[in-house]
Amino acid sequence: MRKFTSLLAVVVIASMLLTACPTPTVEPTPKPEEPTATPEVADYGKVAFISTQCVPVEEAEKMRNVILADFSGTTEFIPADYATFEDTVLAEVKAGKGTIDVIGALHGQFPTLLDANALQDLTPLLDKVKGRGIPDAYMELGKLGTDKQYFIPWMQATYIVAANKKALDYLPEGADPNALTWEQYRDWAKNIYEATGEKKVGFPVNGLIHRFLEGYIYPSYTGGMVTTFKSAEAVEMWKFIKDLWQYVHPQSMVYEFMQEPLMSEEVWVAWDHTARLINAFKERPDDFVALPAPSGPKGKGFMPVVVGLAIPVTAPNPEGAAALIEYLTRPETQITTLREVGFFPVIDVEYPDTIAAGIRAQGEAVSAQAAAADAIPAMLPVGLGPRSGEINKIYRDAFNGIVVDGKDIETVLEAEAQALQTLLNETGAPCWPPDPPSTGACQVK
Amino acid sequence: MKQKTFSRRLIGRVLAYLLAILIALWILIPIYFITVAAFSPKDVIYSWPKSLLPQTISLETLLFFINAQYVLDSLWNSVKVALLTLVISLVIGAPAGYALARYIFPGKDAFRIIILSTRAFPIVILSIPLAVTFMQWGLYDKLISVALLHVAMALPTTILVTSSVFIGVSKELEEAATVFGCNRVQAFTRVALPLALPGLAASAIFTFVLSWNEVFAATILTIQNRTLPARMFVQLAASPIPFRFAGGFFILVPAVVFMFFIRRYLFSLWGITLK
Repeated sequence: MRKFTSLLAVVVIASMLLTACPTPTVEPTPKPEEPTATPEVADYGKVAFISTQCVPVEEAEKMRNVILADFSGTTEFIPADYATFEDTVLAEVKAGKGTIDVIGALHGQFPTLLDANALQDLTPLLDKVKGRGIPDAYMELGKLGTDKQYFIPWMQATYIVAANKKALDYLPEGADPNALTWEQYRDWAKNIYEATGEKKVGFPVNGLIHRFLEGYIYPSYTGGMVTTFKSAEAVEMWKFIKDLWQYVHPQSMVYEFMQEPLMSEEVWVAWDHTARLINAFKERPDDFVALPAPSGPKGKGFMPVVVGLAIPVTAPNPEGAAALIEYLTRPETQITTLREVGFFPVIDVEYPDTIAAGIRAQGEAVSAQAAAADAIPAMLPVGLGPRSGEINKIYRDAFNGIVVDGKDIETVLEAEAQALQTLLNETGAPCWPPDPPSTGACQVK
Repeated sequence: MKQKTFSRRLIGRVLAYLLAILIALWILIPIYFITVAAFSPKDVIYSWPKSLLPQTISLETLLFFINAQYVLDSLWNSVKVALLTLVISLVIGAPAGYALARYIFPGKDAFRIIILSTRAFPIVILSIPLAVTFMQWGLYDKLISVALLHVAMALPTTILVTSSVFIGVSKELEEAATVFGCNRVQAFTRVALPLALPGLAASAIFTFVLSWNEVFAATILTIQNRTLPARMFVQLAASPIPFRFAGGFFILVPAVVFMFFIRRYLFSLWGITLK
């Protein structure tokens, strides 16, 4: 008993000491200035940078230790899931007092913040990033439909196909790997299965499969994402997916990132986000090829992802924030970002030799995909605000119902279309590309 | 006849043990898998079919965690928040529990219900107003703010548990102490408190574990000074499986270690002595 009393006493004293001492804020040690950078030597002080991208632990560490290391000032990189990110920014704006200086988020995540008047007008910053070669279309996205600049494009990504070179031997006859159709993709999977007895094509069902449905297969087969959700073409498309699924690796149900099963050669061919394939290309560039996504009857549906940088109205260090945005859009930082976390530059850069061959190959596939004659760019859902996660669930539920549980296609589509329409009506979101523009909420046909 | 009661007893014992083993396995099997996976290299974790025994031991993912900039700081933050919560909730909760146990006052039963009703508020809907208020008070992103909210969440259990602990300590003993010359305070500190300590320790464990595991308040009230579970919650959700296992192991270990040291007091609450 006495022992416990003394233990309790220690605990009490220790916690008193803890409250007495101010908690030390941990800051990464600033690295020495890079001599070749712009002549300014100013220290911009502490800049807090919250981001919904580069959240996985490895990517976040690379942001802290490599990409942000040369900034003249100390940065605190705060990775956050979308809900926390939005709650935090909105709460700071409501309180009129903030800790966050820079916001990094997907293009579709900004409109809610703008509605809450949370974003600063960055038009004065344009001078600093002018001449870097950010495409006008991307700058236009940053205006969020207004005449002011609310975010500056930071980096981009998309989804492509990665293939082990061993798999190329089984390509269907006459097929060009850089211009495949989804039918050929299925035949490829079938050939591999028939020759090796193994299902070697994989999908990240536990990862970003909803983007495959929304941005790739739906536009490729139906020309739309939302309006064509339960169309006759969509029914055909689901029949095709079921057909393809016979040759897909059963472990696909648990894959989140395709790079690991690719590297362990559990699968040979995989579709995924470029940042989730990058390690395969980086570590074994000679073993893998990067291919543009296949096309369907309506064209090559693909989803470009644009990540932007913004400054909240409550930023305590707006000069530092502006300097950080300028730093992140410099060519050398953009190249480092590509090398470390696999997000592609938004500016015009020459890939130097320091960029691994595998990553350059990935970059070429990305360009080929975007520049394809039959390309159908599909944007991430816009205008759903805090409920943008729900649309993904609808597509995943449809997938689970039809492909996993084997339910009747029309019945599942009918039920999910209703959920989709309810979501669109309640948020009032107008159609976004590839669906044609609408007045009022987007309607499922 | 004797034989029959003996065998019936034996069956009863065997069943009790089987049940105990089942409950233990229910808890230990996931812990076992998390531990094995935390010490396995990435390719083993992804390999299929999975093996039940560790194949190769690797510290790769665990070392990544230990070396990651924020992990040790967050771990330290978690310890500080948990200890602060424990102390504040005992300092406030134990006297309230004592009062409930010893005195009869008007509205006593209503008071008990009101204490519990604070737990009925879903904290999720309070998130933004809560964060806004803390910001306006200048308490945002400070460990004390997380601790205060954890105290608010822990107090109902602390008060109710400590009141039942003090009910268990006979009032006559305190009265006897006053007869022998103690004043009220001395009677409490020298007689009632030592007898109640094991129970207080048990309630402290609940508080500590609650604070250690709590994610939501910690995520919404802090941005840079996050506790370990809050950091992990945000980052692991988007990380590959090997890191989730390593992170899970990292969160698990301190709680298990804490339990190990304090289990003696926990057992004594139930009248089991462990020497």
